[in-house]
Amino acid sequence: MPSPSPSPSRYDAIVVGGGHNGLVNAAYLARAGRRVLVLERRPRVGGAAVTEEVFPGFKFSMFSYVVSLLRPEIIRDLDLPGHGLHILPLESTLTPMENGDYLAAWADHDETRRELYRHSPRDADAYDEYGRLMHFMAHAVKPILGMVPPDPTSLHPRDLLGLLRLGRHFRGLGAEKLHALVKLMTMSSADFLDEWFETDVLKATKSASGIIGTFLGPRSPGTAYVLLHHYMGELDGVFRAWGFAKGGTGSVSEAIAGAARRFGAEIRTDATVARVLVTRGRATGVVLENGDEIRAQAVVSSLDPRRTFLQLLASDGLPEDFVAAIRRFKFRGSSGKVNLALGALPNFTCMPGPGRHLRGAVSISPSLEYVERAYDDAKYGEFSRRPYLDIVIPSMIDPGMAPPGKHVMSIFVQYAPYHLNGGWTDARREAFGDAVIDAVARFAPNLKSIILHRQVLTPADIERVTGLTEGNIFQGELALHQLFFLRPAPSWARYRTPVRGLYQCGAGTHPGGGIMGASGRLAALAMLGDGA
Amino acid sequence: MTPDVIVIGAGANGLVAAHTLARAGRRVLVLEQRPEIDETLDAGWVPPAVVNELGLGRHGLEVVRPDPWISVALSGGDRLELWQDATRTAEAIRRVSPADAAKWPAFCRRMHRLAGFLEALYAVPAPDVETRDLRELLGLAGLGLKARRLGREAIIDLLRVLPMSAAELLDDWFEHDGLKAALGAGGVLHLRQGPRSAGTAFVMLHHHVGSPAGVFRPPLSNAAQVLARLPGVEVRRGAQVKRITVANGRTTGVVLGSGESIGASLIASSADPRATLLGLLEPGWLDPEFARAVRSIKCRGVAARVVLSVARDPGFATLAVAPSLEYLERAYDDAKYGAVSQQPYLEARVEDGRVVVHVQYVPYALAEGGWDDARRRALGDLVVERLAEHAPALRAAVTGREVLTPRDLADRGGLTEGNAYHGELTLDQVLFMRPVPGWSRYRTPVPGVYLCGAGTHPGGGIVGAAGRLAARQILKEVAR
Amino acid sequence: MLRQTPFHARTAALCESQAWRRWAGYVVASSYELTHDREYHAIRSSAALLDVSPLYKYLITGRDAERLLDRVVTRDVARTKVGQVLYTPWCDAAGKVIDDGTIARLAEQTFRLTAADPNLRWLHLNAAGLDVRIEDVSSSTAALALQGPSSRTILEELTAADLKGLKYYRLTPSSIRGIPVTISRTGYTGDLGFELWMDADQALPIWDAVIETGTAYGVTPCGMLALDLARIEAGLLLLEVDYVSAHHALLESQKSSPYELNLGWTVGLEKEWFVGKPALVAEAARGPEWQLVGLEVDWDSLERLYAEVGLPPRLPNTAWRTSVPVYVDGTQVGYATSGCWSPVLKEYLALAHVQGQHARPGSTVMMEVTVEHHRKRAAARVAKTPFFNPERKRA
Repeated sequence: MPSPSPSPSRYDAIVVGGGHNGLVNAAYLARAGRRVLVLERRPRVGGAAVTEEVFPGFKFSMFSYVVSLLRPEIIRDLDLPGHGLHILPLESTLTPMENGDYLAAWADHDETRRELYRHSPRDADAYDEYGRLMHFMAHAVKPILGMVPPDPTSLHPRDLLGLLRLGRHFRGLGAEKLHALVKLMTMSSADFLDEWFETDVLKATKSASGIIGTFLGPRSPGTAYVLLHHYMGELDGVFRAWGFAKGGTGSVSEAIAGAARRFGAEIRTDATVARVLVTRGRATGVVLENGDEIRAQAVVSSLDPRRTFLQLLASDGLPEDFVAAIRRFKFRGSSGKVNLALGALPNFTCMPGPGRHLRGAVSISPSLEYVERAYDDAKYGEFSRRPYLDIVIPSMIDPGMAPPGKHVMSIFVQYAPYHLNGGWTDARREAFGDAVIDAVARFAPNLKSIILHRQVLTPADIERVTGLTEGNIFQGELALHQLFFLRPAPSWARYRTPVRGLYQCGAGTHPGGGIMGASGRLAALAMLGDGA
Repeated sequence: MTPDVIVIGAGANGLVAAHTLARAGRRVLVLEQRPEIDETLDAGWVPPAVVNELGLGRHGLEVVRPDPWISVALSGGDRLELWQDATRTAEAIRRVSPADAAKWPAFCRRMHRLAGFLEALYAVPAPDVETRDLRELLGLAGLGLKARRLGREAIIDLLRVLPMSAAELLDDWFEHDGLKAALGAGGVLHLRQGPRSAGTAFVMLHHHVGSPAGVFRPPLSNAAQVLARLPGVEVRRGAQVKRITVANGRTTGVVLGSGESIGASLIASSADPRATLLGLLEPGWLDPEFARAVRSIKCRGVAARVVLSVARDPGFATLAVAPSLEYLERAYDDAKYGAVSQQPYLEARVEDGRVVVHVQYVPYALAEGGWDDARRRALGDLVVERLAEHAPALRAAVTGREVLTPRDLADRGGLTEGNAYHGELTLDQVLFMRPVPGWSRYRTPVPGVYLCGAGTHPGGGIVGAAGRLAARQILKEVAR
Repeated sequence: MLRQTPFHARTAALCESQAWRRWAGYVVASSYELTHDREYHAIRSSAALLDVSPLYKYLITGRDAERLLDRVVTRDVARTKVGQVLYTPWCDAAGKVIDDGTIARLAEQTFRLTAADPNLRWLHLNAAGLDVRIEDVSSSTAALALQGPSSRTILEELTAADLKGLKYYRLTPSSIRGIPVTISRTGYTGDLGFELWMDADQALPIWDAVIETGTAYGVTPCGMLALDLARIEAGLLLLEVDYVSAHHALLESQKSSPYELNLGWTVGLEKEWFVGKPALVAEAARGPEWQLVGLEVDWDSLERLYAEVGLPPRLPNTAWRTSVPVYVDGTQVGYATSGCWSPVLKEYLALAHVQGQHARPGSTVMMEVTVEHHRKRAAARVAKTPFFNPERKRA
C-alpha cells in the first residue's frame, strides 16, 4: 500500500465491513497514520459481535457471547481498556447429567479436582496432566496463529524461509510435543479424550468445545484441535482475556471502533458496498448500493471470501483456479442462537437454587452419545432434536444487561444446518426454538414459565443479519484442508488477493474465526508492509 | 538348532521378514499358530521390491486384477461397472453421467499422481521428522524435493486431499451417487469412520497405491501361499506363542502354548502391536507411558467376512451394495453406537464357487450383549437378504455360510479387536506415528524385540512391505 | 470449599492466629499460636504434634504388590522386611523425579505409599498386567506426627508397643485407647519422632489422647511454618519448592534426576529394572550436571552488608521458598530454593542447586540478599546436609 496520500478527497484505504476484524484493521492502519474509511452496511458496527436491545430493557449479545481469544497485543496496542473494554470472569461450567447428577468445573483447582475425583479418582489425576500437556501445546501452537502463512508452492525466498522457520519450530518442540500436535491436528476430540479419561460426561463437555461452529461431531477426526482453543485462552489467562465483556460482546466492537476513531479513522454505518471498483487490474475504490463512488489507494474486505470474491468483484477478472478454489471453500453454517428475556432465574434440578453456578456456563452435553446424535441429525439435513447447548446468563455477571430482578439467557446451539431439508421457514424456526427450550427445560423445568420474550436465530438469520455466508460463524469451516496456507485459497493466504490493491482481513483468512482480531491486524501489517 | 531370529506369524509380512533375514544368512524359525496354510487370496498390492528380492515370480505368484474391479448395484437392477481400463470405465460412467465421465480422466490422473507419492513413501521406512542424523535429514529433504517436482497442482493436492474426507473430495468432482459411493467405500475399509470423516481421502488413496490409474481397489494375489511354500526357512505350524520372555532387560526367546521354550535373542513379531506388546511380552518391562500409547492404538474391527457356498451361479461375478455416500455414512452411524448396520456396505465376489462378502459395519464391541451364534446367524441372513435385493437368484443358490465377525477374527487369528489392519489407518496412526508415535522403525523398547506386521509402516493392504522393511532394519541394527 | 482433615474440630479450636493454608486441597494451620516460634522449639526441645493427614496415601496389596512398587521406585523394595519403611523418590522413563515419599511394608503383600502429589494414575499405568490392587486411602487414613525429644516418652505412656526397640524407619502395629494405630518411626523434622496412622473415623480420640498424656511433657500442636524450619535444618526436600515434578515441568531444565537432588543413595542400579533405570545408569556413569547442597551463610559477610546501610542484619523469621541466585566469581552458578534462620543452630541456612563443580562441601559461593531494596551478595559455605542431625534421631 503506497504512502499516505496528501489529497483530502482520497482515502488511503477503505475497509469494507465493520465487523471486529475490519475495525481492528482500520485501527492499525489509522494508528500508522493512514486515512481510513470503514463502510458498514448495518446501523451499528460489530458484525456478529453486537449487543442489541431487542426487547426494551433486555440486552442481548445477539450472536457471539463470550470473549475468548482476543489477542493481548491488540488489547494493548489499541488500548481497548481505555475505550471501555472490561472483561468479567466466566468462572465455572456446569454440565447436568441425565441421571440427575452433574459435573462441574470451577475456577479453583482444588475444588475442580475434588469434583472430578467424585466421578473418577483416576480422572482427577489425569486432568492435571492433561491440562499441562494442553497448556504446553497451546503455547507451541500460538506462534503459528500470529504467523503469516508461507506459500508452499512458491520458490520465493520469503516463502522458503517461512517454511524453514515453520519446520524448525516444529522440530524444536521435541518428540513428545510434536507427536501430541499431530494427534491434536488429526484425531477426533472423543478419541483424543478417550486416551485420557473415563468419565463420559467429562469427555462430552470437553468434546463439545471441539465442535462449536463446525459441521463435525465429537467422533469426527479434526475436532481434537479445537480442544486447544480453551487453553490458548488460558495462556492469556493471567491477562484475563477470557470471559464476558461488560455490556455484551458489542462493547468489544465499540471499544475497537473507539480506538480506530481516536487514531483518525472514519466509520460510516448504513453504508452498503455493492462492488469494488477495479481499474486495469487494480482496486481503486468502491461503489455503494446507492451509486456513490468512493476512491481509495487500497481496499480491504473483512467480508467472507465468497462475498468478497464472488459478490464484490466481477469474477471474470479473477484467475480461474482461484475462483474454483473460492467456490470450493466450505461454509456450511451449523450453529443457531436463542436469546431469552427471563422474569426469574432458571432452577436446575441437579443444583437447585440461585447458586454461583449461574454465574458461569451451563453445558447441555450430558454424554458423548447425546452430542454425537445431535450431529447425526445435522448430517442428514435436520436440526438436532436434542441439541448441544452452551448457556450463559449474562445478567448474572453484568446486571446491566437486564432490568433489576430480571435476566437474559444466551443459548448457543449446535446443530442447526444452514441447508435444512425444506429450508428455514418461519414454522421451522419456531420448531427449532421449541427444541432448544425443551432441551434446557429437561434440566431446568421452570424455564418455560419464566420466559418473557424469545429470539430465535437460525443460520439463515445469521446470514441475513450479519452477512456471514451460510451463517458460518468462522467465515469458512476450520477444517485442516481449509486452514493456514490453504485459507481461503492456496497461494492466497497472505491477506492479498489476485487484484492489486485489494486485501482481505476477515476470519476467512488465517488464523480463522473466534473473536481474535488476528486477521485484521495481520492484514493491516501486510498492507503497511506493501507500502512505503 | 537355536535360531538367530524367531518370527511370530506366517502371514505374508512374517514370511517376507523371515526370508529376507534368511537370505542375509540368519537362522530363522517361523512359528505359526494355525495348523494349515490359509489358502484364501490376500487383497493387497505386492510391491515390486518384495516380488523381486524373493523371486516370487519364479515360484508361482499370481496377481488377480478383477475386471471389473467393482460392480455397483444401481436402482432398477442396473449396474455401474468400473474396469481396469480407464477408457472403458469412462464409457460406463458416461451412460449414467456424462458430466462425471468428462471429469474422470483428470480425476484419475491426479489421484494416480498422489498414489505414486505414497508408493514412494511406502517403499522406505517412515520419515523420521525428529532426526538429527545427516543422512536422514537429506532423505527428508529429498522427499520434500520429490513433492515439489510434482508441480504446484500436485503440492496443493497433497496438502488438501490427504486430510480431507472422501465425501468432500468426491462431491467436489462428481455428481453420480453410485460412482461416489464406489470410490468412497475404498476410503473406509477396515476403518471406523464414514466417508464424511476427515482422513478418508487418504485411505482411499492408500487402497489405490500400486494399481493403474482409475482402479481404486488393490488386486488379489496368492503371495501368502507362495511365501508359505518358499524354501529357505523353517516354519512350524500349530505352534502358538504364549509368551516372549525377557531377562536383564533383553529378550531371551519365547514360550509356546505347549509349554516348550525356544531360546533366541531376536524376535520379530508380525502379530498386531497390542497383542505382541501387551499380550505376549512378559508384563512389567515397558515404560508406563509407552504401554499406555500401545493400549491407545485404535484397532476397532468393523468388518465381517461372510462366505456363502452356492450350488449354482448367483447371477453376478462381483457386486457392491453402496448406492450413495449417505448410505455408507448411515451404515457407519450404526457402528458408532455399537450396532450392526442394518443397511450394510457389501462388497461381494465369486471365487471358486463361493461368494466372499466384505461387510461393513460390523463392530467388534456391541452395545448390548456379545457375539453369539444367534447374532452370527442374523448377520448371515442380513447379508443374504441385502445381496438378494439386487441378485434375486442368490437366495435359492446358497447352500451354506460361514460368518466371521471381528470377534471371530480376534479369537481365531489373535487380531486385537478383529481389525485386519492391526491398527486403523487414521492420520494419527500412519508414518512416524505407527504403531506408536516415535517408534516407527520396527524396534520396541525391549532390546531384541521387533515388530514386522501390518501394524507397522506402511500398514495393512501393502503385502509384505512391513515385513521387508522390518527385516532390513534388523539387519542394519544387529550384527551377526 | 476446601476439605477439612479428620482433626479439624480440634485444630480449628486451637488456631488462635487464624492463619490457615492449603495443603492438597485441605486447610491446615500455618501456626496455632500468634507466632510459630514456640511450636518450632517444641520440635527440638519437647514434643510437637502435627496434623499431616493431607499426605496422599495409597494402599497396595496383592501378589504383585512388591513387584509393582519395585518397578516404580528407585529403591530396592524387594529387600524390605515387614515392618520396614523406605524413603524413596520415583522417576519417569527419562530418569527425572516425579515425586518422593515413603513406602511402609505393613505385611508381606501389603504396602502403604505416601506422596506429596496424587499418584493414583501413575500407579495404575505401571500396574498393567500385574496382579495388584491399588486403593487411594488418602482421605480414609488420618495421620499425625509426634516429633521431638519427648515424643517416645509420651507414646510409651499411650501404648503397649515396645517403642525403645522400634528402630529408625521401622513401624509397628499398635493401639491407643483401644483404637488401632500404626506407629512408624518416621518424620519430616530430622529428629526423634514418630508418625501415627489411623482410620479417619477414629482419629479424634487419638489426638485427644496424645494431648492429654503429652501435656505434662510439653506437647504442643504445631503448624506448617514451624515444620518448614525443622525440615530445612534436616536437609529434607519439598516438592514444588526444592524441585519441580517431572509431571509438572514445562521445561526440560526444570526437571531433576535423583542424583541432582542428593538422592543418589536411593537409586538401586543393581535392580533388574525400574522406570528410568537406563537413563539413570547413563547419568551415574557421566555424573550429574547439578547438585543439591546445603549453604551456611557467613555471618560476618551478612553483617557487613547491613552495616553498610546502618542496619543490623535482618534475618528471616519464617522459611522462604523463593528462588535466590547463587554466584561464584560474578557468574550465576545456581539458585537456592529454601532458606531459613535456624534457631537451634544459630545459622542462616539454605538448600540450593549448584552446578556440579561448585558443590564440594567447604566451597565458598555468594548468595543474593536484598538489603534496603538493593541486591547484594553474602558469602556462604557449601555444607553437607542434614545441617542438624542429633544422635537421638536414630538412637
